[in-house]
Amino acid sequence: MSAIVTEELVTAPVDPRFPNQNQTRYCWQSYVDFHRCQKIKGEDFAPCEYFQKVYKSVCPNSWIEKWDSQREAGTFPKKI
Amino acid sequence: MSNHMNHPFHLVDKSPWPILSAFSVMSLVSGLAKWFHTFNMDLAILGILSTTLVMIQWWRDVVREGTFQGLHTSKVGVGLRWGMILFIASEVLFFVSFFWAFFHSSLAPAVELGSAWPPLGIKPFNPFQIPLLNTAILLASGVTVTWAHHALMENNHTQAFQGLFLTVFLGFYFTSLQALEYFEAPFSIADAVYGTTFFVATGFHGLHVIIGTTFLLICLIRHTLHHFSFTHHFGFEAAAWYWHFVDVVWLFLFISIYWWGN
Repeated sequence: MSAIVTEELVTAPVDPRFPNQNQTRYCWQSYVDFHRCQKIKGEDFAPCEYFQKVYKSVCPNSWIEKWDSQREAGTFPKKI
Repeated sequence: MSNHMNHPFHLVDKSPWPILSAFSVMSLVSGLAKWFHTFNMDLAILGILSTTLVMIQWWRDVVREGTFQGLHTSKVGVGLRWGMILFIASEVLFFVSFFWAFFHSSLAPAVELGSAWPPLGIKPFNPFQIPLLNTAILLASGVTVTWAHHALMENNHTQAFQGLFLTVFLGFYFTSLQALEYFEAPFSIADAVYGTTFFVATGFHGLHVIIGTTFLLICLIRHTLHHFSFTHHFGFEAAAWYWHFVDVVWLFLFISIYWWGN
């Protein structure tokens, strides 16, 4: 018998800026905030990771991949 | 045939125009669809030509019946007025659909647009340059058409001509400025939903300005031919109603799309 897993499962907390069932904008804003945070504070600034945790939890992976490649190509529709 | 009747109703003669207009408009719509999908204009041109010919001849007949045969009694006039009111009401709803699309897309812009309106990279027009001038032009044309109407009702042929001429001139001026603005536009109808809502809404308004100007121009020509009396001039009134409608649509376009939407 395997041991009971006691690891705590967490997802992004409720954010009152995004009160709708559709959380697209929560995902989008967290993605933008993470990259802006990194740009301003540098890649090693730990508090930025909070935004990354949120968008990785809330966004569909295909969106993250699409936005990453858009940022590389310079076609991401928001200034970072 | 005698025009004397013991009732005030207009019992119309047999006419080829209803069936011919049905075929022409069908060709026009199919031709436009074909043009947009295959870039072949043949059927569209046939549709435009036949529709134009039917319009000219049908309305020529209506002018003959109303102006020269006296068949447009006051009772018939009530029907004409209701027809125009219902037609303009349907036109209002036509434009409501474009405003609906605009507000649907702009009030909560999609993340694909960067959650911004106008979207990143779109450089919209400055509303206080040509669009504001166009607002002034259309408001002025509303004044001149009213001036023409009052002159007509007071049997002042010269001032009715002057007022109507100025209104038509202002209509042409508006269309020219819109054409200039379109040529100078830094975005196109293919530039995401911003370009689509902008050009569909303002483009259909422009089409209606051209139709309204044509309607007023025909009134001007009919006025020089003395078709209108100081009590009997519904053709002119219908054109004026239509013109006011086009004017009001512009005010909403200016406030929502050009001003708020930038």
